Amino acid sequence: MKSKITILILALFFSLSLEAQEKYRISSDFNNLSFKEFTLKAEKLFSIKFFYRDEWVSRLKTGDLSDCLTLSCVMDNLFKGTTLYYIIEESGNIVITNRFAIKVSVAPSEKDNSFLPPNDYSGSGENQRSEGNMSINIGNPVERNKPGNVILTGYIRNKDTQEPVPGVTVFIQKLSVGTVSNEYGYYTLTLPRGIHSLQFSFIGMREKAINLNLYGNGELNVDMNSVLIPLKETIVSAQKSVTLQRFEVGAEKINISSFKLLPTSMGESDIIKSVLLIPGVQTVGEGSAGFNVRGGSTDQNLILLYGSPIYNSSHFFGFFSAVNSDIIKDVTLYKGGIPSRYGGRISSVLDIGSREGNRKEFAGNAGISPITTHVSLEGPIIKDTLTYILTARTTYSNWIFGLINYPALHNSRASFYDLNGKITYDLNKNNKIDLSAYMSHDAFRFNSDTTYAYNNNIVALKWRHFFNSRFFSSFSINNSFYDYKISSQYLTTEAFILSHRLNSTGLKADFNWFLGRNEINFGMDLTRYSIIPGSYQPYNDSSLVVPHTLQKERAWEGALYIDDKFLLTDFLSVNAGIRMSSFFTFGPQTVMVYNPAYSKSISTITDTLNYKTGSIVNKYGGPEFRVSLNFRISEKNSFKINYNRTRQYLHLLSNSTSISPTDTWKLSDSYIKPQIGDQVAVGFYEILFKNNFEASAELYYKEIRNMVDFKGGTDFIMDEHIEKDIVNVKGKAYGLELVLKKTEGKIRYSVGYTYSRTFIRSLSSFSEEIINAGKWFPANFDKPNDLVVTFNYIFSRRFSISSNYTWSTGRPITYPVATYHMYDDVLVHYSDRNKYRIPDYSRLDLSFQVNGSLRSHKLARPTWTFSVFNLLGRQNVYSIYFKKVGDIYTGYKLSVFGQAIPSVTFSFDF
Amino acid sequence: MIFKLFKILFFTTGTLQTSILILLLVFLNSCIAQFVPKVGEEKEVLVVQGLITDMHETDTIKLSESLALGQVDNLKPVQGYTVSISDNIGNIYYLSETAPGTYLTPSAFQGVIGRFYTLYVSSNSGRGSLNYESNPMEMKPVPPIDSIYYMKTVIEPAIGSFKGVDGCQIYLDTHDPSGVCRFFRWDFAETWILRLLFPVQNQTCWISDKSHSINIKSTAALNESRIARLPVTYITNTTDRLSRKYSILVNQYSLNEDEYQYWEKIQNVAVQVGGLYDLIPASVQSNLKCIEDPTEKVLGYFSVSAKSSKRLFIKDNFEGIIYRYGDCVTDTIGYVDPPGLGITVWILEDEPHFIPPFKVLTDKKGCADCTVRGSNIKPDYWEDK
Repeated sequence: MKSKITILILALFFSLSLEAQEKYRISSDFNNLSFKEFTLKAEKLFSIKFFYRDEWVSRLKTGDLSDCLTLSCVMDNLFKGTTLYYIIEESGNIVITNRFAIKVSVAPSEKDNSFLPPNDYSGSGENQRSEGNMSINIGNPVERNKPGNVILTGYIRNKDTQEPVPGVTVFIQKLSVGTVSNEYGYYTLTLPRGIHSLQFSFIGMREKAINLNLYGNGELNVDMNSVLIPLKETIVSAQKSVTLQRFEVGAEKINISSFKLLPTSMGESDIIKSVLLIPGVQTVGEGSAGFNVRGGSTDQNLILLYGSPIYNSSHFFGFFSAVNSDIIKDVTLYKGGIPSRYGGRISSVLDIGSREGNRKEFAGNAGISPITTHVSLEGPIIKDTLTYILTARTTYSNWIFGLINYPALHNSRASFYDLNGKITYDLNKNNKIDLSAYMSHDAFRFNSDTTYAYNNNIVALKWRHFFNSRFFSSFSINNSFYDYKISSQYLTTEAFILSHRLNSTGLKADFNWFLGRNEINFGMDLTRYSIIPGSYQPYNDSSLVVPHTLQKERAWEGALYIDDKFLLTDFLSVNAGIRMSSFFTFGPQTVMVYNPAYSKSISTITDTLNYKTGSIVNKYGGPEFRVSLNFRISEKNSFKINYNRTRQYLHLLSNSTSISPTDTWKLSDSYIKPQIGDQVAVGFYEILFKNNFEASAELYYKEIRNMVDFKGGTDFIMDEHIEKDIVNVKGKAYGLELVLKKTEGKIRYSVGYTYSRTFIRSLSSFSEEIINAGKWFPANFDKPNDLVVTFNYIFSRRFSISSNYTWSTGRPITYPVATYHMYDDVLVHYSDRNKYRIPDYSRLDLSFQVNGSLRSHKLARPTWTFSVFNLLGRQNVYSIYFKKVGDIYTGYKLSVFGQAIPSVTFSFDF
Repeated sequence: MIFKLFKILFFTTGTLQTSILILLLVFLNSCIAQFVPKVGEEKEVLVVQGLITDMHETDTIKLSESLALGQVDNLKPVQGYTVSISDNIGNIYYLSETAPGTYLTPSAFQGVIGRFYTLYVSSNSGRGSLNYESNPMEMKPVPPIDSIYYMKTVIEPAIGSFKGVDGCQIYLDTHDPSGVCRFFRWDFAETWILRLLFPVQNQTCWISDKSHSINIKSTAALNESRIARLPVTYITNTTDRLSRKYSILVNQYSLNEDEYQYWEKIQNVAVQVGGLYDLIPASVQSNLKCIEDPTEKVLGYFSVSAKSSKRLFIKDNFEGIIYRYGDCVTDTIGYVDPPGLGITVWILEDEPHFIPPFKVLTDKKGCADCTVRGSNIKPDYWEDK
């Protein structure tokens, strides 16, 4: 404890009196001691304890102190000419601080005149009025008249768990200047010298204000208290000032506490469902895995858990998210302005921030809902140093199947489970290691002869090293694995096992450096992929199936990036970055050569090229520029422009409207070029009516090259030459997203309206590959109008109501328009692709939450959530299809939710 | 549909879909309802159905126009086009239109295995004349059908005096020892004998029908090109095919892989299960395209196949077959010609020597004349035994 200052700024309540220090009167000789010797001696004499860092005091010598009669006199002498300050607490703790002093002000607050303009600073003790009961001096008061701005840094921790808190808004209302703490809980602000009132706010934490006398550069570390009673949280308010400050256009952060309040479809809080409420995010329908961001396809979203990609983000074929909400701390969606540290996907990054175990005490949570049950346990192994968190979730739907007295279902099974674990170890103040693991499994069996299963596994090891309070680094290695397996014994001679497998290993190094007015991020990213596109094996000996495995794909994806956020002027800040991305595929590989005069097909293969093990087959890559400008027009509004380019080398082959369980991942190869996306976005943000409302308008335009589409009727399973079925298409998307949010008070709501269009155009010159005569046509998820309204009413700490309403244009669809006869069979001819639309979509959900006990330290705190999904019972059309009855085709519509779906969820903390 | 069951992988995804659907229906009260979409005007599209074989027989190319959805039958033939076939050694054969939209190959034409054939179709309407051309298609060899056989199936089991109801499943086996033929298509022509109960002039007829669905199979995933128990057709008790004697001629065709994939795609888009992961429907590309306007849509396929055939006769006792002529007699009159004879009334039985003489009448022509359904000329392949 002695060599470390554990708590620099504590709760506001410790007090100090001038008389108190006089009790440490000294008589013995303190001459010519090193600081360490001095403290040892002093601690023997008095019941006191020193807190400091060795490096601050290593050179200090007490010298000749014969005049000094008190301990404070010794220290005054010692620290003369240094940047060190001390404070003697009543309890006997002597805290030494570097670069700032802790001072307790007894003067009552006066709101006016507490701010002094920087150039007019003539501060003296009398002027240090503050609003709170404490103001802090930072820097040497001697420097108070120096011109120019100074830099304030520090880190923010959760007082209870001692976890760093990223995403905390640090805001100075008067200056309308602010920032957000980074991944490690650190923040940096460039401020004029003077008296400032800093507000620290974060969802689920008690807002904190600290008054500051800022004389020079310094460090201010803050512990924040979490709000113990969940419903009293300020759900969205903390974000308001950030919206104006953030560089990115189109970054959204969702906190766990806010999405846990949302109505659920089957009693499970679902992160993807809440992402769908963000303007610009759409889905083709309920129960479809994945989501579409600003006209991007579902495989263009990078979903990161523990910094590692998840390749199948859903359970139960899309009805649940693959990630248990118990481990989620927060979720950030970048739908535009993707920071240069991310790459590899075109449309968005969904970064799932995971929780760390409680550092102080053991805690847990368990719950039950109509389909699932979950439990989580967390706590310290070594208090404040080594912690763990474990969560598990599983279904008991198999048991329900057993009860169903319907032959086909009685023998069917559908289940999933997922497990998460994380161990965090603080080696010391500057080094932190965590090891995380995720495992998820889905299994489905139909009528006991056909089974389907898929797995997602992630292991990640991360080491965070802080060089100093301005320079951070993080190194991580992760492995993500995804596979699926289908087996069928329906026909004994053809019984088979079909599987697909993707394995990726990533190495990442990220550096975060605050340098003057700049925040520089740089680093590298290296990922190795190996994919078995398909393997088709006989189920047993009686099967005639020839074992067959499609050739393995291997590749490395590497990237180096650097970006700089800097304040150009008071009203303009810039974030400019570049990501150099590259991609190499390796042999052994066999590549077909096709006659370029024809559309690719089996009959146009002219040659076969064989690449040896380890030889490079394809090379792709190039620079990706990411630029954002943020103009602060006034305190209440700002304007942002942003451009970014992204490249994508990994594609999900899907020929159905939504992600299907048999879709496979494919790396770019000789024929499937990397997708390249360019997006320009502008945004205008305003805070209205005494900060109660927040309004924003964002406009974007996006172009995507080398998108992958397919010739009609293609089935990719075990397709050896996928390139022959692929059509090269180009995409463009544009849209306007309008949001109005009320973020304060008992009643909160938000209204988001999006007008967006997404088009695709085929580029080939071969008629087989031309879709809709080579004209632009709407993409499957082109839903021009989209309205999302959310409503929250917290009528007491125990009860709250939450509701959301969604309305959107129906998605495009291709209808059969004609029939024709071939060999006495009646076949259908379809309209131009996506020429028609299914009916509009509209849904209202409602949930009601009751907290059984308000006392946070009661043994078990129960929470009941009553939820009704699709309250109006509207039969929204999911798909329309046609069946031949006799010689006539008849249309049918499928509604996934045929009526209102009520559910009850019970959970309790312990 | 039969082919669906035997396309292994498609079957699996299909099952997966169906089962997920059932799951949804049970858990989420999902629902399916009939739906009539509003569809605008769509242009008619040229449909080409063409097949040439290595047999010494006349091959037919049929040209028609697509029909609006919901419109039943009434094929719209495309007349007056010039249709020709060329091979890769420089021969050109012109086809002649013998019936509207039906173009026949000249007698000199016979496909040769290993050659490539191209079909040309052109409209002769002067201005705006359009020419269509197929890809060159190779004629691949086909093995003979090893055997065709049938199995009685029980539709309803016999209980006590009730003899039950039988159906009949017809299968075939084939294999290609050389392993060259990996992609197959089958169709069939069936004939059965009908003998009316009354001693009318046209009492015995042979009724014919053809297959109405596409039946394909690939052995590319198997270690030998062997197909066992391939379902050809299933005959239920609701027809009188099996009441006396039945014959089926099954034709087996070799396919190019491209053509196999064409049919596979046709099936994929036609057999939408109606689940969550439907394929994005699209018209399947023909192997013909319009030279003047490559974006113009053409439907159908020019098939080049070697062909082998085998015939099966079935004469067996099937229980529970419907009897279509139980309701024939409408009246018995004295020995006079009734009014409307041959128009609304037909004579089933004429008994001039009976005392008093009489005639048995019917108002259903089919009861008095078997040529309503078939032909009274015995086909030359028919075996009486």
